[in-house]
Amino acid sequence: MLLGGLALVFTTYTAATASQQESAPPIANPASLDGIRTQLGYDTQMDMPPRLDQAVSLPPPNQDPCQHCHISGENKGLWTPLVRWVLFGLAGVLFGLGFYRTTSTWVTRTPWKPLTARAADWVDERYQVKEPLQKMLSKPVPNFALRWWYCLGGITAALFAVQAITGVMLAFYYKPTPEQAYASIQFIETQVLFGASIRAIHHWAANGMIIACTAHMLRVLIMGAYKPPRELNWVNGMILFVLVLVFGFTGYLLPWDQRAFWASTVGSEIAGGIPAIGDLVLVFLRVGWTVNDLTLSRFYALHVLVVPVLTIAMMGAHFLMVRRLGIAKAL
Amino acid sequence: MTTNQAHDKEGSIPFYPDHVKTEFKVVLVILGIAGLIGVTALFSPVGLGDPADPMNTPAHVKPEWYFMALYQLLKYIPKTAGVVLPIALLVGMILWPFIDRKPDRSPDILRKRFIVVAVGMLILIALTIWGEVS
Repeated sequence: MLLGGLALVFTTYTAATASQQESAPPIANPASLDGIRTQLGYDTQMDMPPRLDQAVSLPPPNQDPCQHCHISGENKGLWTPLVRWVLFGLAGVLFGLGFYRTTSTWVTRTPWKPLTARAADWVDERYQVKEPLQKMLSKPVPNFALRWWYCLGGITAALFAVQAITGVMLAFYYKPTPEQAYASIQFIETQVLFGASIRAIHHWAANGMIIACTAHMLRVLIMGAYKPPRELNWVNGMILFVLVLVFGFTGYLLPWDQRAFWASTVGSEIAGGIPAIGDLVLVFLRVGWTVNDLTLSRFYALHVLVVPVLTIAMMGAHFLMVRRLGIAKAL
Repeated sequence: MTTNQAHDKEGSIPFYPDHVKTEFKVVLVILGIAGLIGVTALFSPVGLGDPADPMNTPAHVKPEWYFMALYQLLKYIPKTAGVVLPIALLVGMILWPFIDRKPDRSPDILRKRFIVVAVGMLILIALTIWGEVS
């Protein structure tokens, strides 16, 4: 009885405070959801795109309902049609293949050749990749190269792949302008499904990539793997190291918070200390004498276009040379 | 160089599938760590500072940790020297294979190079930590 009364008091109390909070006037607070949406240019009530993880009960009023998936008031998620397509499509493909297999063995009176083998033969007939591929795959790896410190370069490459994937995901939502950059990162952190996870992975894998890259370089240096005939691969690797640092430097500005802005200001200031051409470097980095909106555009373009393309090209050459020259044997 | 002959003497494993399998395990570990980071971020995201304000310089501006050593160095040496030094170091390292061309003769040289690298890294790490705490 007493407990029930307490519970009643508690529920009415919370309901009252909740309604109070709801009736409070909306403030353009950048930390709040509506604030972020307003800053991003969405009308708070109307223009917000539906989130993919939520069931969409009704199509927007100004849009014709899709006759296939929204038959008169049926309540379905956005994903349901895709799931149906995949399920029934797979069933159909399975049935079709089974039918083809049965009839073809019947008709031709020959044993069934697996589809993968057929596909491999078909591709090989046209591209003739089987022989070089087999040669590449069967190249022996020396036993001395199986210690853990020989996989640091591979770890760097794997982390680069992680960075490429998460980077593209972030670029889908990021807006590289001073007005919108900060709010779009807040949007990624709070609204995008797993946005905070993707950003955290991108953040920490960047740090890991610098550590792995440096460790790989020091390993090569200590073991003397840069000795002839591998000098050019060392030069290639040093360029890759510098590219990784440029990745870090340009990526740091993109959140456009106080730390990013002033770290980039100080960083470009330091680059401006190069004798004779310092001012030129400074103006090139900042697109002007101060860090401004064009600096953000430039760093973004460098971070997502120029440096990745250069890195992929250099990495390709790096791997090819490693395969061609073999792994260096230390004394 | 006769690298391939040297390999044959010591024995080897096939690149595929043996070595690829090992590498795949390494990649799996990396993906596992990435997944852990992702799950952790659901509870404590990386976060953001205050929005950038060109009119308001914060009291302590610090670069990322991998530029911290250079930043700390620049507090104590002139700016020009602080820029020329790392660039000279970088150029020197790029050109190092063309300076040190003789093939290694004894394992001793590995130890010597290790000591040089370790001392260099210790200086860098010390500068970084000093910069982080100061």
